[in-house]
Amino acid sequence: MATEESILDTCRRRGISRRRFMEFCGTMAATLALPEAYTQTIAKALGQQRKPVMVWLEFQDCAGNTESMLRSPHPTIEDIVLETLSLEYHETIMAGYGKHAEAALKRVVDEEKGKYLVVVEGAIPTADDGVYCTIGGRTALDIAREVCGGAAATIAVGACAWDGGLVRSNPNPTGAVGLHEAVPGIKIVNLPGCPHNPVNTAAVLVHYLTFGVLPALDPENRPLFAYGQLIHDQCERRAHYDAGRYVQAWGDEGHRKGWCLFKMGCKGPEANYNCPTVRWNNSTSWPVKAGHGCIACASSRFWDTKSPFYERLPHPAGFGVDVTAGEIGWTVVAGVAAATAAHAVGHVVRDHFHPGEDEVAAKEAPKTEKPTTEVH
Amino acid sequence: MAAIVRPAPPKKHAAVGEEHLVPVYVWELPVRLSHWGIVAAVTVLTWTGLYMNHPFLIFPGPRQWTMGTVRFIHELAGFELIGALMVRIYWFFAGNHWARWRQFLPLTQRQRRSLKAMFRYYTFQQRKPFEQIGHNTLAGLTYIVVYFLIACECITGLVLFATVEGSPTLRFFVGWIPRVIDIQWIRMIHFLFLFFLMAFFIHHVYSAVLVAMTERNAEMESIFSGYKFVDDETIDEELKIASLEPQQLFSKRKIHRTRDWDR
Repeated sequence: MATEESILDTCRRRGISRRRFMEFCGTMAATLALPEAYTQTIAKALGQQRKPVMVWLEFQDCAGNTESMLRSPHPTIEDIVLETLSLEYHETIMAGYGKHAEAALKRVVDEEKGKYLVVVEGAIPTADDGVYCTIGGRTALDIAREVCGGAAATIAVGACAWDGGLVRSNPNPTGAVGLHEAVPGIKIVNLPGCPHNPVNTAAVLVHYLTFGVLPALDPENRPLFAYGQLIHDQCERRAHYDAGRYVQAWGDEGHRKGWCLFKMGCKGPEANYNCPTVRWNNSTSWPVKAGHGCIACASSRFWDTKSPFYERLPHPAGFGVDVTAGEIGWTVVAGVAAATAAHAVGHVVRDHFHPGEDEVAAKEAPKTEKPTTEVH
Repeated sequence: MAAIVRPAPPKKHAAVGEEHLVPVYVWELPVRLSHWGIVAAVTVLTWTGLYMNHPFLIFPGPRQWTMGTVRFIHELAGFELIGALMVRIYWFFAGNHWARWRQFLPLTQRQRRSLKAMFRYYTFQQRKPFEQIGHNTLAGLTYIVVYFLIACECITGLVLFATVEGSPTLRFFVGWIPRVIDIQWIRMIHFLFLFFLMAFFIHHVYSAVLVAMTERNAEMESIFSGYKFVDDETIDEELKIASLEPQQLFSKRKIHRTRDWDR
């Protein structure tokens, strides 16, 4: 069961050099925005601390977060931290199945109570008593309550586990919600993103192993080191934004020159994430660097609130899906302008056909006033 | 109300009609300042805001700072707007009779009559607008909506500003809002209300000119000078309703100044 092995031991066994291990510790310190000296602290902790037991639960998900962790060109230490962190239960990658698998989960919950970590992936359905996601005959809600309730800490990875993600997007037929809504009151770290960035998830675990506590969180329980800054403020295309150089169409001159994707609906200005600094696939690239706008996948309810992904603003509700805020606005302005013009014409027409006292007086006035001015 | 001492009618107005028109100091300096402050701010904010939503000018040169400059101007004008709005809100409670909040709501019988009459006036059912010294009540209600729109623009603007400006004070006041209404909806409201203000601008200028032409009470000039020219009858009626003392309507110094200005 729980191993006596440390993460450094596992790395050695897997043929990863000390140099590469120290590189990893440095990356983690940088990701957590810690001073350089903490690299040694992290290395020491990962060399000594016994690896905690961890279970990985999947509910209404696409296994995208698991994929994000597993699909790297060669096993990185991030993978090892996550993957071999005494992962006692993980539906996608465990060898056991059926009763035996469920028994493994039960054993962790019973024997390691208050000490194990849980990673949750996927939304939890609440409609119709949660029948839309059941594992071994039990509903997701039931499992989450039991497993997360007894854990030292829970890490909700991906958009779905955070706030329901794609599953919860309108019209949400299964009544899906995120973990902290489904099971309130648990000690939780939310790592939204579609999928989560394994570097951030590893950094949360490393922080926990090194300092024994979870990293500093914002009011929505997202670690500040990863979700504290706007993408826009860290973006490498930001200079083009400030200068006023924008991509106008896919593949135009600006796009080829790497100008700002603001007009193509990039949601960088409203998204908080460390995508531009941590990047993906061994820090190779990230969407905006690759030439596509950000879709704010780490923002709350992003399928509903950040779409259309290729337009600046969402469409106002109740006017049909294609009608933009700008169209409504210009229509209102044009309508008022037209009504005003019509009213003015109405006045002129009325005064012409039905002159009032004033108009009559005005017509007669010049005759009486002119002589007096000429006298002067 | 018989013994009101009134200044003599200015000559050029007396020549126009039979009415005894009296200059009344209606719009005090804070009212005029906040009015023109709002006009200036909204004009600048409209153009810069339209650019920020959809940058219609592209400067491909190497040393540009277009969006940066436009955003900076937008933010400055935004704070100016907040200042102007706050002055006006303060003056709802500290200003003269016509600046106070009661003038904007149909609270008295006369104000309700004004509401009905102005509706009839705008729909061609009567020739003359309702004679009122301050705002007519239909205008007052419209301004309540406009102040609400401006306040919404200020608050949503501050919310958006708080996402780029890491001020803890600002976040304390408005940081909770994006957790209730998503930041994109905030941005959309901020954008959409701009058009309502634009539409109001068209209507406002038109109806001000229209009423000024019909009433010939120096309505257009009044937002520069503060003085409107009102006939005896209206003054008597308003004094009665508001239970104002005549001194509150005419202060000697101001009338003196008007006379100088009017010559």
